[in-house]
Amino acid sequence: MGILLFITVLLIAACGLIYELIAGTLASYLLGDSVLQFSTIIGCYLFAMGIGSALSRYIDRGLAYRFVWIELLLGVVGGFSSAILFLAFAYTQGFQFLMYALVIIIGVLVGLEIPLLMRIIRSRYHFRDVIAHVLTFDYLGALGASLLFPILLVPYLGLVRSAILFGIVNVAVALWSTFLFAEQLAKAQALRVVCFLVLCGLGIGLAEAKHITTAAEDNIYADEIILARDTRYQHIVLTRFKDDIRLFLNSHLQFSSRDEYRYHEALVHPGLSAIPVPRRVLVLGGGDGLAVREILKYPQLESITLVDLDPEMTRLFSTHPMLSALNQRSFSASKVHIINADAFPWVDSNTDSFDFIVIDFPDPTNYSLGKLYTTTFYKAVARHLSAQGLMVVQSTSPMFARDSFWCIAETIKQAGLRTYPYHVYVPSFGEWGFVLAGFREYQYPTSVPEGLRFVSVKDLPALFQFPPDMAPMAMPPNRLNDQVLVRLYDQDWKDISH
Amino acid sequence: MTVSRRTFVKSASAALIGLSLKSDSQITGTFVNESFQLGHQLRDRAKFPPPKQLFKVPVVIVGGGIAGLSAAWRFWKKGFHDFVLLEMNDEAGGNSRWGQNEITAYPWAAHYVPVPGPKAVYVRELFEDLGVLQSGKWEERFLCFTPQERLFIYGRWQDGIEPAIGLKQSDRDQFRRFEDQIHTFRSTGKFTVPMELGLSDSTADLDRVSFADWLREQKMDSRILSWYMNYCCRDDYGATTDQTSAWAGIQYFASREPEEKGPLTWPEGNGWIVRRLLERVGRFVRVGQMVHRISQTKTGVSVSAGETEFQAKHVIFAAPTFLAPYLIEGMAPLHDFEYSPWLTANLTLERYPESYGTDPTWDNVFMESPTLGYVDATHQTLRTHIERTVWTFYWALASGSPAENRQLLLNSDWGSWKEAILHDLERVHGDIRRCVSRIDIMRMGHAMARPKVGAIFSPERRRLANLSGSVLFANSDLSGFSIFEEAQWRGVSAAEKVLGKVG
Repeated sequence: MGILLFITVLLIAACGLIYELIAGTLASYLLGDSVLQFSTIIGCYLFAMGIGSALSRYIDRGLAYRFVWIELLLGVVGGFSSAILFLAFAYTQGFQFLMYALVIIIGVLVGLEIPLLMRIIRSRYHFRDVIAHVLTFDYLGALGASLLFPILLVPYLGLVRSAILFGIVNVAVALWSTFLFAEQLAKAQALRVVCFLVLCGLGIGLAEAKHITTAAEDNIYADEIILARDTRYQHIVLTRFKDDIRLFLNSHLQFSSRDEYRYHEALVHPGLSAIPVPRRVLVLGGGDGLAVREILKYPQLESITLVDLDPEMTRLFSTHPMLSALNQRSFSASKVHIINADAFPWVDSNTDSFDFIVIDFPDPTNYSLGKLYTTTFYKAVARHLSAQGLMVVQSTSPMFARDSFWCIAETIKQAGLRTYPYHVYVPSFGEWGFVLAGFREYQYPTSVPEGLRFVSVKDLPALFQFPPDMAPMAMPPNRLNDQVLVRLYDQDWKDISH
Repeated sequence: MTVSRRTFVKSASAALIGLSLKSDSQITGTFVNESFQLGHQLRDRAKFPPPKQLFKVPVVIVGGGIAGLSAAWRFWKKGFHDFVLLEMNDEAGGNSRWGQNEITAYPWAAHYVPVPGPKAVYVRELFEDLGVLQSGKWEERFLCFTPQERLFIYGRWQDGIEPAIGLKQSDRDQFRRFEDQIHTFRSTGKFTVPMELGLSDSTADLDRVSFADWLREQKMDSRILSWYMNYCCRDDYGATTDQTSAWAGIQYFASREPEEKGPLTWPEGNGWIVRRLLERVGRFVRVGQMVHRISQTKTGVSVSAGETEFQAKHVIFAAPTFLAPYLIEGMAPLHDFEYSPWLTANLTLERYPESYGTDPTWDNVFMESPTLGYVDATHQTLRTHIERTVWTFYWALASGSPAENRQLLLNSDWGSWKEAILHDLERVHGDIRRCVSRIDIMRMGHAMARPKVGAIFSPERRRLANLSGSVLFANSDLSGFSIFEEAQWRGVSAAEKVLGKVG
């Protein structure tokens, strides 16, 4: 009997400390400044315990009955505290108010526990022993909780489930007390039913905790990662924030589904609409199928060939429901041919001719990618271009990487093509630039496909105007034996971040 | 099944040992392209069987390296087809031989040509023929791609091989003074490629001191400058600065002023040029033909190779000149020709070592290493994604006497050379043993001519280089050092001389 009693003390002490730690940790996670959060929470909590202890003197009768109820209440409030706080942070403005309110409620309840318990068992022991035993087990419970919390609970259970687990412990103590103090309870049976129901509630909470955290975390951390894959060639990450899907390749943003239409319409239509009778199109890169989606708006085309290095990438954008919805299942179209190959050797060895060529590679962040922005590469591509044909090159930002943009334009010019640079504003990227190139004089299209959201015949000429802060600069061409572009690009972005 | 503690401990430790040895035992390889046995037959005056068949041909070229192939190329270009080229090995190419595995082609020795200057007219003509030089422009895909070179110095990589970090002011001053000196030498026009065109007796004094002594005289004694000078001499001459003529040391720097960012290089190194030359003149080349006797006859020159005697009017001796006294009847022993022993290795890498964010380069050199580092054979690829590769590792056994180093080269087995190579690479790439699957090693006792003190103005060298009889010499070692442009110039020049007589 004695030892069981004192284990009860140990458990309730542990529960109390756990709720306090959870509140402190959550506040540090969500609000930052852990010193401030832990200090104020510990302060409020201890102060509230003092209030609880003071209030205990007003409880005269039915001590055991009230103790059981306090445990039940603690189990529910403490157990769901973490879930409530997560959801409050995600969906309301009143997180801090609610947090301190919960801390004070829990503190008051915990403050009531020990004085009541001591009075309940006063008659069974010497006062001296009661004090000694209760406080010993109280502090032991605190030690256990403080070790358990960082080592096991946070890493393995997480904050939401840890809180619920200790809520269950509180309710178990309540249930246990109905037996322990049975002779002091009039309606023990009814209390046991209540305990059982609350236990069931908490049990369900424990099982469903994952949904609570996911729902909350989706709202807390900017973007939910819906897919992360290491392929032979790159690290693919897809995130979603509400209706915004973003693709990152090796941590570089490739598109945001909210505004990618601006990018891809601008990439495709100024060129393709200006070609009198386009029949064959080549896309280099563009494994997301979004450029192809735009190209498919020209029903007169006979074939679209896409060359992308990574088969995982094209497979993903062919089969993943969310992603193939984004590109409107463009890879399933019968005139689309997907070739998974390294672009430069493919261009160098293939002999087909195309009317429109889209070059949509990642930015020249290293010397390997830099090869795809050289005079030799553009000369090799130009050999595939029909006399009336045009090619368009994704050319990074003329605003943030002005030197790089004009270096790319110069490189294409040195490959023997006439160049027509233009730029668009894509909110998730900023100002973005493209270079159209061909053997002939470029003339603005007189019509574009129906239903475009960004490109229009009327506004197109404006894209080819560069304001002074993006105006042309004299740059050397990027060549295989002298890749100035990679150094310029590196410098451009360094300048931005300083 | 029950496992006793003893068996468990045993198998666990075996697994651990297995793991630690695994990476090592997987590395295979052998010595390859060994040809010194053939050379030793000549040296030891072995008995060769008398010829069984006679073959009359106006011109015989002995040796299928760059000099011999260039002579053949000149004949072919001029429409002269009455010649044969005899090559001792089973493949032509000499110091420009190459290899090929499932990953890439790779060089066995010479792996680049500096962008030729205006005086190297024959090289420019060759490159025009091969499409490397097109209407005055060098084809970009044959110029070394960015990033070209790097040096591992003070625990990190720097761009370029000339040390640029950790220099004291005095080091910088000496580098600058050296550059000024070189600029002056260059403007005299007496240091040219090919060397014979600019060679002037007014620079003979420089051939009487070692490069190391000359640098000391100029008060250029910085440790870091000395390292760099030594590296350059080891790289081009296989010798240290104290074994190199000051004239040759200066020639290395003063003879070139590239008009384009180079050098010219290919996955298989200069083997690419050999392949292109063989496409043109391969039908004149007979491989596996070791010439063992050349003698003057009343009507011309007799050349015995294997069981065939070739009766010719003219012979172009394009093989290494040191072999000549063993072959040519009545030729006096040579004194002024010395050769550096080399070792090259081709390492197959299943993956690149951890690069810590730096881009791998074409030529990779380690400061204070006795080796010359390595060259990446897949660097000149148009691909953006490369997983496996081949590295060609160069090691000129430069310090000490060539004879002793030749013994070392011959007497150490493959395993010890493999360890020496990995040990050198490990200082820079800690995980190299986990990347390499194969190491093939080529040992060359007489890899390249060494321009020791007095070699350039040696009367012996100049006499052999300027013969006009029925046997002409054409190997690059007649320039005092072995580089592509010298070999090509001497081969073409010899062909021109012969054409002047037979044409």
